[in-house]
Amino acid sequence: MMLKLFDYEKPDLAELSEAQTALRVENLSLHFGNKRVLHNINIRIPKNQITAFIGQSGCGKSTLLACFNRMNELASNCVVSGNVYFNNRNINTPRENLSRLRARIGMVFQKPNPFPMNVYDNVSYGLRLQGMKMRRHMDDAVERALIEAALWDEVKDRLFEPAYTLSGGQQQRLVIARALALQPEILLLDEPTSALDPLTTLIIEELMVKLKQRCTVIVVTHNMQQAARVSDYTAFLHQGEVVEFNNSDTLFTLPEKKKTEDYITGRYG
Amino acid sequence: MHQIAFNTHISAKYNAELENLRHSVMTMGGAIEKQMVDTIRSIRENHCALAEQVIMNDIKINSMEIQIDEECMRIIATRHPTASDLRLVMTVSKTTADIERMGDEIERIAKLVTRDKLPESQELKSSMANIGDRVVDMMRGTLDAFARQDDASALDVYESDNVIDAEYKKLLSRIAEEMQRAPGDMQNWLDLLWAMRSLERIGDRCKNICEYVVYLTRGKDVRHLPMESLQEKMKGTGE
Repeated sequence: MMLKLFDYEKPDLAELSEAQTALRVENLSLHFGNKRVLHNINIRIPKNQITAFIGQSGCGKSTLLACFNRMNELASNCVVSGNVYFNNRNINTPRENLSRLRARIGMVFQKPNPFPMNVYDNVSYGLRLQGMKMRRHMDDAVERALIEAALWDEVKDRLFEPAYTLSGGQQQRLVIARALALQPEILLLDEPTSALDPLTTLIIEELMVKLKQRCTVIVVTHNMQQAARVSDYTAFLHQGEVVEFNNSDTLFTLPEKKKTEDYITGRYG
Repeated sequence: MHQIAFNTHISAKYNAELENLRHSVMTMGGAIEKQMVDTIRSIRENHCALAEQVIMNDIKINSMEIQIDEECMRIIATRHPTASDLRLVMTVSKTTADIERMGDEIERIAKLVTRDKLPESQELKSSMANIGDRVVDMMRGTLDAFARQDDASALDVYESDNVIDAEYKKLLSRIAEEMQRAPGDMQNWLDLLWAMRSLERIGDRCKNICEYVVYLTRGKDVRHLPMESLQEKMKGTGE
């Protein structure tokens, strides 16, 4: 038996079992009016792993991300076809309870968007909407979410100060804490660090790596090094199609498709 | 042939950096080839001054290795190369290490001439020089395969090492015979054996570089594989 010096083995995407799958996307297409934005997407997102979507602006990666908690449908001219299975249940049905879905699949955007209220109320907002009333339970949940978002030590003495007094990186982690308070199974991050400085970016990346212990993380990023650094799997999208979806180590060292190679090495497409 | 265009990046400066990196290996390769040719000539002609020059020139080869390594590090730190670009940088770094070691082997052979330890037998000397010629051909083929990213010719060069190994074994038995006939100065015979071993090792270093060329062009690691498995692996499309 050979001595194994480095062990980065991850489940093969083609052989993911149902138990290892967080989301199963089948024949997903999406149009905004006449414009086709996503075309026949078929992928399985692995559970408790970080999956990154990369691709040029306008390739549909943020739209694909938003399909996972049906945020696209806020646009009136959006038409979606195909299925997205979450816990073996298709979420693309009219009967789907969207507020419950969005609690299970939380989302964080590019620009930190704390509510105009204090730190504590920001984190407890979703819990109150869900009907939590006991102050003691709420305190515990807020503390737990802030600890998970690696923000507790920095804000524990200023919980009742307005959220906008926090720095950009702190605000982004506050927004992540707000999503985590609802104990989501999947966390969708849409370019979560593009408005942050490099060090704060590393803090958020470190947080993502820790978070995958408790939930599946899907991140859209323009920063390829970030995808290579933190994600376990990466999907490269081009003109609304998934060109290649693979283990990140393979995708960034030996991509199968020429389009992927051209994109990640910065060549003319 | 799986040629990768290293000059099609959006950044013209990055294109230039990668092209310069490739050219630097070819420059270093050209220098080592000349070192080898000069050494063989110094053996044939018992040309001590030329062999001295070869020994002096090894410093230049060492300096090239350091410069190329520094450039590889700089590119990794500033450009974060991926896929074929990363393979190029890794290949260049490993290739220059092998070329530098070839330089050390050549220096050892040249010292035979400067220390007047060449065998008296003309037949032995010309056999040595003939193997040397084959090694030069192999070096040339290797560098050519690297320059053209030609994995098929890299494989041909790789196979040609068998001929050198066979000639080396023949020469060893000839030397053993001579040793028995004139066991006089054992140290001289040992130096000669070591120098022959160096000649054979240069062929092995060329083989290593051929393996890196396959890795560069196809992304397949073919090191330490027996010939049959290597050929089998090369049959894949490499797409």
